Amino acid sequence: MTRRDLSRMLLAVLAERLPRARAAAPAPARRVVLITLGGIRRQESWSPAGLRYIPRLYQDLLPQSLFYPYALNEGVTSHFNTISSILTGVWQHVDDWGGEKPANPTLFQYMQEQTHCGPEQTWVVTSNKQLTANISPGVNVILSKQLMVEAVERIVNGQSQRSRLERQQLLDEMSALLETDYERIGWGVPSESAFRDPAVKQTLLSALANFIHGPDAPASGDDLTFLIAREVLTRLAPALLMVNFSDMEVAHSGSYSLHLGGIGRSDRLCHAMWQFIQAAPALRDSTTLVILNEFGRDPDGSSTNGFFNHRSGMESCRLAWAMVLGPAAGAPRVVEREIRQIDLTPSIAAWMGVDCGRLPGSLLKEFHV
Amino acid sequence: MSDQPPVPVDLIRRLPATFGPALRDQFAQWNLLFSAERRQLQAQMDWLAKLPREEFDGLFAPLAAIESRMALGWDSNAAALGVRDTGILARSPLYPQWRAEVERVFSRIDEAAAPSGPFQKLPRLLVCVLPAGVPLEEQTLWPELAAEGAWLPLAGPFGAMLAPFASAIATRRPPPELDADERTWVIECGSRFTALAGVPVLSWADIEALRREFLHRLNAVQRDLRSVDRTGDELRRADIAHITPHSLAANARVREFLRGVLLSGNGSLVFPNSFVEWAAAEALRRAQPQALLACFGMRQKLKPFSSLVLFEDQNRANPVASSDDPSGSLVDALLLSGYVYLAAQRVACYPGHTLTLLGAADSDRVLALGARAAELPGSPASAEALASLALGWLG
Repeated sequence: MTRRDLSRMLLAVLAERLPRARAAAPAPARRVVLITLGGIRRQESWSPAGLRYIPRLYQDLLPQSLFYPYALNEGVTSHFNTISSILTGVWQHVDDWGGEKPANPTLFQYMQEQTHCGPEQTWVVTSNKQLTANISPGVNVILSKQLMVEAVERIVNGQSQRSRLERQQLLDEMSALLETDYERIGWGVPSESAFRDPAVKQTLLSALANFIHGPDAPASGDDLTFLIAREVLTRLAPALLMVNFSDMEVAHSGSYSLHLGGIGRSDRLCHAMWQFIQAAPALRDSTTLVILNEFGRDPDGSSTNGFFNHRSGMESCRLAWAMVLGPAAGAPRVVEREIRQIDLTPSIAAWMGVDCGRLPGSLLKEFHV
Repeated sequence: MSDQPPVPVDLIRRLPATFGPALRDQFAQWNLLFSAERRQLQAQMDWLAKLPREEFDGLFAPLAAIESRMALGWDSNAAALGVRDTGILARSPLYPQWRAEVERVFSRIDEAAAPSGPFQKLPRLLVCVLPAGVPLEEQTLWPELAAEGAWLPLAGPFGAMLAPFASAIATRRPPPELDADERTWVIECGSRFTALAGVPVLSWADIEALRREFLHRLNAVQRDLRSVDRTGDELRRADIAHITPHSLAANARVREFLRGVLLSGNGSLVFPNSFVEWAAAEALRRAQPQALLACFGMRQKLKPFSSLVLFEDQNRANPVASSDDPSGSLVDALLLSGYVYLAAQRVACYPGHTLTLLGAADSDRVLALGARAAELPGSPASAEALASLALGWLG
């Protein structure tokens, strides 16, 4: 499939749905929910063979969105470096294991400094355990999947009074960890009292209870991440929330079917997040949702073992995409021009009324600032 | 061993710094290298040693210039690289340029030092088998590869023919120039072929004790790079003979190959089909056997919550009953068997010299690719005829 073919296909879908697309509404306050997805190749997403794995992004969200099908990752195609690049607007080259802070200020920091908002306005809820508190000073970092991993390990390894991986026992174990061990897990708290705040605490406990006793019996890390992020939005409504889904990263262990399942789950959860925002009067008109994958993965036949990894530096690995929904998107359209992921930073900042100074990234003129 | 060449210390010193640790490690492990690796390494070193100074410097100058700007901070005499070292390299802003330049240099070296002679022209055989019990009707089998090959009808299910087929291949009279580890390899999820004598058989099922020990140790890794490196070093040095099947433990090269596969990620400790794919790809790259049989298997469904901790035994503490995942296993094995074929295409001795057979245990046809695929008989082949065809090809 050529880029021209893809563009034709995307434009056709837009044309079909454009009259029904919702016009952007003026917003009294501006919020951004930024969702980053792990590595997803073009052949498992925005290609004729791949669209079946992302039906909601393609059929439901694309027609309402400002869509950049060609968003290049020109930095280090690893998780921490990519996400910190997107947050700073500068390609980062720091420790991939989350042992270092980004070398430049993040969107969170620009926003805190210029709007004087408190840490309750800046949240990261992530499935990827590498996004430790180092991702940005002064931001609340919830390593949701890691909380569950720790709880599962404690039960499996006999380190807990709870002995079976049953839903209630897991909820109890996660709740206990939340009380005592969140910092060891790598969660970030701007102040020691942050997680002692009853509102914050209730937010997290409520999300855990929804996860364990939810109607669809969710069990994956990304499901938990979604529920915590949704609860943070509901109860705390921060100005900037970054969410990361990573179930597709099971690809590193070589199960293609589970990798495809992870892609499908992120498709479903992105759609659910948008539906949730649209259904919440306090969020609907003020919230822009930005969705992008961090990178692709290595091509079949590469010496790096194909879809298992994302380090070849080839186009299959570097070519990502970005979708903008809500007030900053303006009228739905597909922008065929190549952009860089770091272009999103000044664009999101500008929409939020924040000045990032001179960054390598360019302001995307399509953002409805 | 007496045939170990002296380490070309001076030559290694003249090479870019990023080459040193890997080369030193290869010479240190000389006794554990397969014959094909020794031939290749020796040919590369010989060619470089004879390269006129001006050409040598010209070949490596761009790479050395990039390295000088990378601030790697490595010990240039290090015997091997740790996770921290490779992390510094991979996150350098100059890494893409470095990688491209390394590929250019190796392309030049491999072209000039390409092995020739009987090993390169040998007819070879690659067989990949999808497991029994997968819903073949749900997927088109190898649609892209099928366009390049031909379907050979069989007189019965491929799975029923495998035992006599594998036995015939394993007991054939191999070319005299091949040593024991260059003849036939079998890599399988189950333990159907572990009784085959005289050939390395790597069975996921039979190495359970070894896998469990490695997983147990890896689960204890702390969240810091020193802990990762330390555990990696310990596992590379650990005595594993007592938890490795005897036939593998007795062959040091194969035993260390197995250790290397299990410790190099790619899911080889987690999922049986990932093990088969990665071990097969590594065997093709390193040992370059004349015949390789890769038998994929059934993966179990991941259990709720346990699936988050892939390195754990999902049966521990989980009340959910275990069950197979036939559909998922088919999707996995289809792609991964294609990867084994592609892995062979990256090793010079296979393309153009290899008959590849891809089939499913429950299917009565196999896809033949490569040499002579178009000349296969149109009538259904019996087990004997299939074995005869493969043996005839191998000579």
